[in-house]
Formats: sequence, C-alpha cells, structure tokens
Amino acid sequence: MTNMTSPLDRRRHLTGMAFITPTMAVIIAILVYPILQSIVLSFGQSSIDGSEPYSFVGLKHYATLAGNERFWNSLWVTLVFTGLSIPLELAMGIGLAVLLNEHFRFKGIARLAVLFPWALPTALNTLMWRWMYNTDYGLFNAAALQSGIVDRPINWLGDETLAMGSMVVVAVWKTSSFMALIILAGLQSIPRELYEAGRMDGMTRWQEFREITLPLLKGPILVALIVRSMDALRTFELPFNLTDGGPVTATESLSLYAYKVIFDFIEFNYGAAIVVVQFLVIFAMSLLYILTLRNKD
Amino acid sequence: MTKRPRFGLYALVILSVVISFLPIIWLVLTSLKTTEGIYAWPPQYLPDPFTLKNYINIFTNSPELLLYVLNSFIVALGCTVVALSFGGMAGYALSRLGMRRAGVLMVFILAVSMFPPVSLLPSLFQTFLNLGLLNTYTGLIIAHTGLFLPFTVWMLASYFATLPPEIEEAARMDGMGFFRIFWSIVIPLSWPGFVATGLIVFIFSWNEFPLALVLMTQNAMRTAPVGISLYPGEYAFPWETISTATVIAIVPILIITAIFQKQIVGGLTAGAGK
Repeated sequence: MTNMTSPLDRRRHLTGMAFITPTMAVIIAILVYPILQSIVLSFGQSSIDGSEPYSFVGLKHYATLAGNERFWNSLWVTLVFTGLSIPLELAMGIGLAVLLNEHFRFKGIARLAVLFPWALPTALNTLMWRWMYNTDYGLFNAAALQSGIVDRPINWLGDETLAMGSMVVVAVWKTSSFMALIILAGLQSIPRELYEAGRMDGMTRWQEFREITLPLLKGPILVALIVRSMDALRTFELPFNLTDGGPVTATESLSLYAYKVIFDFIEFNYGAAIVVVQFLVIFAMSLLYILTLRNKD
Repeated sequence: MTKRPRFGLYALVILSVVISFLPIIWLVLTSLKTTEGIYAWPPQYLPDPFTLKNYINIFTNSPELLLYVLNSFIVALGCTVVALSFGGMAGYALSRLGMRRAGVLMVFILAVSMFPPVSLLPSLFQTFLNLGLLNTYTGLIIAHTGLFLPFTVWMLASYFATLPPEIEEAARMDGMGFFRIFWSIVIPLSWPGFVATGLIVFIFSWNEFPLALVLMTQNAMRTAPVGISLYPGEYAFPWETISTATVIAIVPILIITAIFQKQIVGGLTAGAGK
C-alpha cells in the first residue's frame, strides 16, 4: 500500500481508534480498574457500602496474611491440586488425542463425547460428581458395596486425603478433553511422510511416538499446560460445590478462601490482600505464557 | 503395511466415551427415578418405576429453576451479542487498519484476560453496588463481556487476518468508507469466524460461576449454574429436584455442542494455538 494519501491514513487511524474504543472501555472497567482498586483496598480499611471512609493502613493486611495458617493452607491446597491434576490431565490428554487421531467408525460420536465434559458448566459437573461420590446413595459406593470390594461405604469427600483425590478426578475428567483437542490439532499437523519414513526404518509404534510425535507436539503441549495451570490456580466452583473446601479446610483453594473472607466473614480489605497475592501468582504464570509464545514465533 | 489390531483400539474408545458420559447418564437416570428409587437399597441402576414426575414437579412447583435457565439465556445471549460487536470492531482495527502498536495492544489484551475472576470481585461488587448494577441483566452482561472480550478480539482478529486484502482495496477504490467496508464486506465474509467465536463465548458465559454468584444476589436473578448450586439450602439436598434441574440446564449446551462440534473445536484449538 504505497500510494496512500495522508487524509486516507488519517481517516484509517480515526476509524481504528473509534473501533477499538468500546472494547478498551469495557476491558478497563471490568478487568484493569478492579485489579487496581483491589490493590488500593488491600492497603486500607473501608467497608463495602462506603459507610466507613477509606483509611490507609499500610501493610497491615499483608502482615495478617503472612501469619495466617488458613491462608498458607489454601495456597498449599491450590498448589497441590494444580501439581496433581495437571500431569494427569496431560497424560490423559495425550492418550485421548492419539486415540482420536486413529481412524475408526463413529469417530464423530467419540469426539463429541470427549468434548461434553469441557462444554458443560464446571459447577454442574461438580454437582453430578458429588452425587456419584455420595456416601449413602452414590453410584460409586453402591457399586463397590454390591460387588463386595468394600464392606463399608467409602467417605469419598469426608476424608482429608480422599477428598483432594476426588477433587482431582473431577478436574481431570473435565479438562483432559481440552488438552486432548489442543494436542489433537498439533497431531494432525504432523506430516504423514514422517511416519512412513519411520516405518521404513523399522520403528515400533512406541519408538514412533517417542521419536516423532512427542518432539513435534512440544509447542501445543506447552500452551495447553500453561493455560490449564492458570485455570487450576484459580479453581473456585469445583471445591465450592464439591466439598465447600472441607473436610475442615483440606480442599479450600485460594479463590474459595478469598471468597469466604470477603463475602462470608465480610473482611473486605483482608480479602483484597488475598486476591492481590493470588493475582501476583497467576500474573507470574501469564508472563511465562507470553514469553513462551514470543519465543515460539 | 501391516494392519494393526483394532480390538484394543475400539475397547479404549468405548471406555473413554463411557467415562465421559458416565456422570451425565447417572444424572439423567436419577432424574427419571422416584424419590424412593433414588434412596433405595439395593441401589437402582435403572429407574424402576420409570417416572417423569420430577420434570412435571419442576414445572409446577419450582418455577424458579426454569427462571434460572431463562436468566442464563438472557445473560449469555446479551454477552455474546455485545462481545461480538465490540470485539469484531476491535479485532478489525487491530488486524486490518494498520494501527500503530497493534501488537502491543494484542499482548495487553491477552495479559488482562488471565486475571483471576475472584481478584476482580471486591472491587466489582462495590462498584456495581454503588451504580445499582447488582441483580441486573445489564450488570452481569457487562461483566461477562469484559471477561470474554479478550478471547473474542483474538479470535476475530486472527480470522480477519486470513481475508484477502484485495477485496477491501477494491472497495476503497469504489469510494467506500472504512465503516461501510467493515459492515457490508468484512462481516458477511467472516460469518464462520463470528459463529465459532459466538458459540464459545455463549458457552463461556452460560458456564461462568464466580461473577454470576456475586453480582446476582437475589434468587430470582440467578443464572442456572449458581441457582442450582445454591438451591438446596441449609440441610437436606433434594437430589431428585437437583438432578432434574441440572438436566434441564445442560440440555441447551449439549445441543449446541452436538450441532456445532466442528466450529467449536476449530475455534478452541485456533484460540489456544495463537
């Protein structure tokens, strides 16, 4: 576009500004301003409805937070949940993707089945699982008791260790499909000839997978991993609906703890300090994400 | 070329499908049982007797559960329309109008999309309270639009980037303004991108939980995921009602996903690959 006249450039520029303004206004109002205000709130004392004027208290809430066992517990729970669910999701995701990349009949139905857990609301998925985990009337205990595997119902959500495991299972069930779809798209972009060449060299299936497939999937896998880690670090409705953070606080994620502090204990400013810390953790992750994408280009 | 064994493959496929569907199947079966059937021992795997009583009860006794679904529809539809309009314009500006620092803006939009929703809550709740936006469709539609606009902008910007620039150049030679080019040439050419993006945004908004929970405090204004989650109240959990309401709330999403599977998967993988 070399024969551009200056008035046209200006019109183009003005149109661009006009076109982007509504989006920037909404993003600033809903995403940027609230984060900044949360930071301001976390350094002060005030009330939700504004009846108590804002007064600056410095690092008071952060000091409280640093000495609060429940906060450290929720951070730990969040990290354990993320650390357990992500590798499992990745393994399942790769498995599913390799499976769905094969040729077989009714492939459309299989893909759809895999997509459903992702498409449904996490809150309602969680309710379905809570119903299956139900100690007295749930599917799992019914099957386990009737088949004689156990002689007493298992308290899936009431035992501290089991509850975390039960929560991880729901997360893996829901999001392996997302991993699988991203990895599948990567798989489909691998040229067939590479496999044919591999077969000429007498590679086994496993060697093909290790030496051709995996190295070429590094990009999509990395993206899926980071997106999912950020999701897991902010998990909210899963513990909210499955266990309400219990037993005691064994599954209380950072998001759930922050929510309870703000809306159940009405400690508005202390809650803001928690969400600021959570924001920093996730922001560090998102920087990593953007750097990774930059390096990819 | 040797033929590989198919039996193992089919077994694995069937296993994956069964695991994916299991909670949904169990939910539907529960919703078709009588209350006695749900709490019976030995457990009933299939409804015996089979009954539609739970569905009839929801329509006659618990209309608020249907209201939740209606609220979800209004919010998700509103959010989709606003996000596609604003995001379409922004995506066009960023990919086709030669804006300066378009790349920086795109990265900025990507970065803010990663904010954890709970960290927006203290401030959003207070602001919405002061502006009278709590418990309004407008309020939650704006909030959801903010949450999902970054995704919309990225999806549509990358779609516009695939259009051949010659068409727009020719239109400009004919003396068309930028707005008319966008409206009568770019949008009609890009409808597959709008459909894929719109479907995913609709699903995102339908499923969104933390903001819908906090910004809709009145029972009558709750969306389906929140209303059903909070329905049980303090003591007993009426599984016959909950399972039935959940089936009703997920059917629209199941239908949308089934019909538009290709578009949704295409959009998701493109969005994540960017």
